[in-house]
Amino acid sequence: MDLALLAEQIAELPLSTAIRTGMSWRWLFPTIESLHVVAIGTVFGSIFLLDLRLLGIGARDAKASKYSAQMLPLTWTAFALSIVTGVLLFIANAPSYVFNLQFRLKLLLILLAGVNMAVFQWGVYRRVSEWDERLPPPNAARIAAFVSITCWTGTVFLGRWIGFVR
Amino acid sequence: MDVLSVSNRIASTQLSEQLKDALWFTPTSQSIHIIALSVVFACALLISLRLAGVGRAAQPLHIAIRKKTRFMYVGLVALLITGALQTIAEPERQFGSPAFWIKMVLIVFGLLLTWWVERSVRREPQRWEDTAHRPAWSRPYALAYVATWIAIIFCGRFIGYT
Repeated sequence: MDLALLAEQIAELPLSTAIRTGMSWRWLFPTIESLHVVAIGTVFGSIFLLDLRLLGIGARDAKASKYSAQMLPLTWTAFALSIVTGVLLFIANAPSYVFNLQFRLKLLLILLAGVNMAVFQWGVYRRVSEWDERLPPPNAARIAAFVSITCWTGTVFLGRWIGFVR
Repeated sequence: MDVLSVSNRIASTQLSEQLKDALWFTPTSQSIHIIALSVVFACALLISLRLAGVGRAAQPLHIAIRKKTRFMYVGLVALLITGALQTIAEPERQFGSPAFWIKMVLIVFGLLLTWWVERSVRREPQRWEDTAHRPAWSRPYALAYVATWIAIIFCGRFIGYT
């Protein structure tokens, strides 16, 4: 599979062209970008607050399970919007992203964040009733929270650096 | 003293030149700006959802709002610092954009709304805790509150396009 050719074909799709050139509305691209920022902002912000609780630093008066139940629906909804807006931004300029190191590392970090979350959910979180109100939370929870903040901070930085490094 | 001359004076300072020359500055500053705005926006959104009675509650309302507004104020300081440095680096880009000025007005408005809701809930925490006894304006307020912060993000993105 020729990745460069595939990327060019994706960029030539009618939707991609419309976003890139703004044929019917020249503010389409910045609008999608803005929605992407709103979405990733919600993802990062909600995860950050939850991770502070799992580290035992923030919202110490709230049960971990309740705080998680409050945050995660928001996180997942915003993540879905991030993916949709991210795909729209990607297809508009696919050839410039597909071989970009920062972009690839960003996707890798998002994947890592997902794996970390899965390990946490099916691991220490299954016993959350044992440590729901305990401070500090168990080490496995604190490690997962630290990895999470690191991955998502890295994702934000890499996302910004995409356009700045050739 | 007009905006253009202020802009030119800032652009000719040593700090402005150094920031323009430092290739790492813009993406790093913007990344910190995004991280800070993420915390601010997530808190604003969560406050709005609580005021509207949407979603699950993990803490009493007055505690949740007090803690979140604290995060917001810290985040806003970080936004001010990174925003100011970005403006010093490229004053003409910011000052010359209508979106920048609209954003500044909206930020002041957002701060006022934050102060207002925090004050209102702090004064009558029990009344606000029960969704049935909250003032009728709490839901439209929640909508206006989150809309303000979304508009601020949009204005921020549109600075480079206007």
